[in-house]
Amino acid sequence: MKIRNIILLTLLVALFLGCAGREPTPGVTDSEILIGNIQDLSGPMKELGMALPHGSNLYFNYINGKGGIHGRKIKMVIEDHQYNPQKAVAAAKKLVEQNQVFCFYQVIGTSPCEALRPTLEEYEIPLIAPATQSGTMSDRSRRGWKYIFHTDTGYDKQANILVDYAYEQNGDAKVGVIYQDDDYGANVLKGIAEAEERHGITVQKEAYQRGATDFAGQVMNLLKGGTTHVIIGGVVREPIIVMKTAAAMSYAPQFLGISPTMDHRVVLGAGKEGEGFIVANFAQLYNSDAEGAKLYRELFENSGTDPKVMGMYNFYGFMTAMVLVEGLERAGKRLTRARLIRAMEGFKNWDGMGVFPGISYGPSDRAGTESVVLVANRGGTQQIISDWIE
Amino acid sequence: MKSRYADENLSWIAPLVLLVIAIPFLIRGVTFSYRYYLYVLNIAGIYTILAVGLDILSGYTGLISLGHAGFFAIGAYTSAVLVDQAGIPFGLSLIITPIITGFFGLVVGFPALRVSGMYLGLTTMGFGFIARRLIIALRAWTEGSAGLEVSNPVLFGFEFASDWANYFLIFTFVVAVVVVARRVMNSKIGRAFMAIRDSERAAEAAGVNLTRYKLLAFFMSAVLAGLAGVLFAHTMRFISTDHFDILLSIYFIIMILVGGVGSIYGAVLGSVFIVLLDFLLIPAFKDWMALFVAIEVADIQSLIFGLIMFLFIIFQPMGLYGVWLKMRIYWKLFPFNPKKRFT
Amino acid sequence: MTETFGGLTQEVVSGIALGCIYALIALGFTLIYKATEVVNFAQGELMMVGAYVNFFFVSALLEVPLLNGVWAFIIALVGAVAFAVLFGAFLDLIINRPLKDEPVFSVIMATISLAIILRAVMAVIAGPMTRIPPSPFGSSVITFGGVAISTLDMFIILSAVVLVMVFYFFFNRTKWGIAMKATSEDPMAAHLVGIPVKKVYRNVWIFSMVVATIGGVLLAPRTLLDTHMGFLGLKAFPAAVLGGFGSIPGAIVGGVIMGVIETVSMGTLSFHFPWVKEINDIIVWIVLIAVLMIRPAGILGHEEVDRV
Repeated sequence: MKIRNIILLTLLVALFLGCAGREPTPGVTDSEILIGNIQDLSGPMKELGMALPHGSNLYFNYINGKGGIHGRKIKMVIEDHQYNPQKAVAAAKKLVEQNQVFCFYQVIGTSPCEALRPTLEEYEIPLIAPATQSGTMSDRSRRGWKYIFHTDTGYDKQANILVDYAYEQNGDAKVGVIYQDDDYGANVLKGIAEAEERHGITVQKEAYQRGATDFAGQVMNLLKGGTTHVIIGGVVREPIIVMKTAAAMSYAPQFLGISPTMDHRVVLGAGKEGEGFIVANFAQLYNSDAEGAKLYRELFENSGTDPKVMGMYNFYGFMTAMVLVEGLERAGKRLTRARLIRAMEGFKNWDGMGVFPGISYGPSDRAGTESVVLVANRGGTQQIISDWIE
Repeated sequence: MKSRYADENLSWIAPLVLLVIAIPFLIRGVTFSYRYYLYVLNIAGIYTILAVGLDILSGYTGLISLGHAGFFAIGAYTSAVLVDQAGIPFGLSLIITPIITGFFGLVVGFPALRVSGMYLGLTTMGFGFIARRLIIALRAWTEGSAGLEVSNPVLFGFEFASDWANYFLIFTFVVAVVVVARRVMNSKIGRAFMAIRDSERAAEAAGVNLTRYKLLAFFMSAVLAGLAGVLFAHTMRFISTDHFDILLSIYFIIMILVGGVGSIYGAVLGSVFIVLLDFLLIPAFKDWMALFVAIEVADIQSLIFGLIMFLFIIFQPMGLYGVWLKMRIYWKLFPFNPKKRFT
Repeated sequence: MTETFGGLTQEVVSGIALGCIYALIALGFTLIYKATEVVNFAQGELMMVGAYVNFFFVSALLEVPLLNGVWAFIIALVGAVAFAVLFGAFLDLIINRPLKDEPVFSVIMATISLAIILRAVMAVIAGPMTRIPPSPFGSSVITFGGVAISTLDMFIILSAVVLVMVFYFFFNRTKWGIAMKATSEDPMAAHLVGIPVKKVYRNVWIFSMVVATIGGVLLAPRTLLDTHMGFLGLKAFPAAVLGGFGSIPGAIVGGVIMGVIETVSMGTLSFHFPWVKEINDIIVWIVLIAVLMIRPAGILGHEEVDRV
């Protein structure tokens, strides 16, 4: 009994004293930079929670192998937020105060990232490349905007470009959209509303709930509405089921997708029903000829990971890792949080070995890329079919 | 005249209040990461208020609710809209919002007069979904599912802008709620609730007005959930419908079950225990494990959480408060404790 | 007009298929509730486990040369059902046995924790990636009179109907079924008249797990396989309650009503009345609450008489 008490007490004290020794810049030593990542490891997005950091670590390990950044190796600590905003904040406080991370990187999900804003402000700590493409991330009217460097083209912008594309293809096009009824869908609808105003049209809108498994009603409505182009704002499962359902009803519009439907498993899962599916993407493909993509494939194959992991999501982690490393590189030898922010603001059309259309930030600009390429599914492989579209 | 509380040992309440006040100072004294611990304690405090309310409804009155996240969300969003958009001061919102939420409680309470058991559970679960939907549909005020930024609480000209200040705000209410709830549950109202739980027919025969007391239980429970919602919205400063889902309602049920159903202290113990476990101990345990083995397994955190819950319910079905009661008896009888009776 | 009507027929047919999935899960709830009065919150997760086990068998067997594709699916199904029997008995051992004298509340919480554990364990075993399970029917579609239904959906409807009939017959006509009914009425009395109550409980968990497995196997090719598939169980709840908790035909009645309401409201209704879009994920709950106000024990349920 007594021994158990002593052990318990020691554990408690150890817990409270978890963070001894403060340094001038937290998370930076002569040999290491500690960065914090808050992922969804057990919630609805847990698949990405595995794929993204794995891709990032490929690049970090590569950089560390070359001697690191100004002699410092990068180390990433991952916490789990289960797609719960409050857990994200608790994890952020833990990372800052206990693990003493230098900056945040790649926190996944729109609402967890939004919930972090007061924390970022409180600790004046930057968040580089949040893993959400919501246009609200680079919105300067929001709290703590200064600390968030968003890399991707927003969903609203993507939806806009897809509507334009539909009209370029067919002047009489009738556009419909199937959107997820949450923050992701809200941002898609924002872009659709802008496009509606520009073209003077109305887009037929069909909603579904996160986790829905049946889309017969929505597809039927789009068929009845006579839409010729359908924009799918889903992730992996939704485009597959939508396209299969439509094929079963012998309804064949041109399907267009927002970037989360980019994953190659959509192509695999949809089979012949997915032929011709066009997706907007804000970067080069992982199987393209860009220097960065070649490096990715080489590193991936050397890592001996399950080849199933390779794909857009994994590559996305890799790409955003390049952004972070470039920022740290530019921040120089005497690394502080303020210096990192200044260095990030210096990005001008930086293309990260050819994978990005050109990332620019500025003192009052937090949106990285603003353009997309269109990728089509041709006979089971994804091919780029356009230039960068603004 | 012998007071109603004469048989209860109240002398330890004052030290307990002192402890609640001393905790943040203690934490700040020994660690730099006190804001993280305080943030977790603040969540625990808010959930405690809600769990006490849920315990009044489900533990004392026996009316199961699987939709308390709905009341919580209504409280949070109502206050955010009232304070930030209608310009009502926070202090007033602390009074108005719980009453508004209480009326939602009455509305949900009406079905409870007709259905019982799991049917009631499902009705309240439906309410949870409907409340969430209502918030999304009123997007002119709530910004739909995109989430809403909320201002800091301001009381008597003082702005609560840090976890440190929030702690004192929240725990003032926690202590007040616990004290009042215990008083009420030991009064005529509380006895009527328990009579309803044990047998509706018998309670009715004994002159308990079922309609009135069931609605009262719902009202009280919703008021507390609304109060928790107000505190939540203004201290977390960002609310989103992602948070108020069915899993949160189930989480609340777990809290009162772990604490021990039908006791206010049980609800307090349960919610503090679950929040500390989920936000503090399991992440710390995971970090500690990572020193010895490379953890790439993603779900380890929820696995540990589930296992602890499971073993707990198998070996301690009475809950934490039950454990405490057993321990108390054990110490009272100390030198003569009968072996193997309290396993 | 004809086009509107054609669309409606299609939606009803798709809704019936969806409803039969709910019915399969609801049947699992009903079986356990009927015998033990426990609401099994892990029913959706049991389905997920069954689907994964079947998926492992199928992927392993499809690798085997000389094994015709169809046989691989059949053997995998048999394997998954065999696993379900063992797993059901195991669940009885770890949940029902230790908690048999505890209040129902505790058992419910045990099932909630079980759901968390199963999700996590499955994620550890299978990894976090969404899997695309092969379907024995490919993506073949049957069309009659302009209404399309996939072969898979046909099978889902068929198995839901058959299983409900089997269990209905079982509970009303066989010795074991009547013993189970008696146990749910009064376990003590059942024990006194010589019914092996423990065995009854075990069998109920086994049945429930088998039904869940069959549901999971049929559902997986339709929705893709991930560990969050179990949340569909939450949608089957209103189905089970609508039909009347504890009523076996009620499971399919409730399921089909829910499924049809869901597809029609998402389809025709929201096409003509755009405001329906705002409520089409809660419309089943509104219907459920409305029905419970009129019939507090569901459509086919019996109101329990409360003895003092």
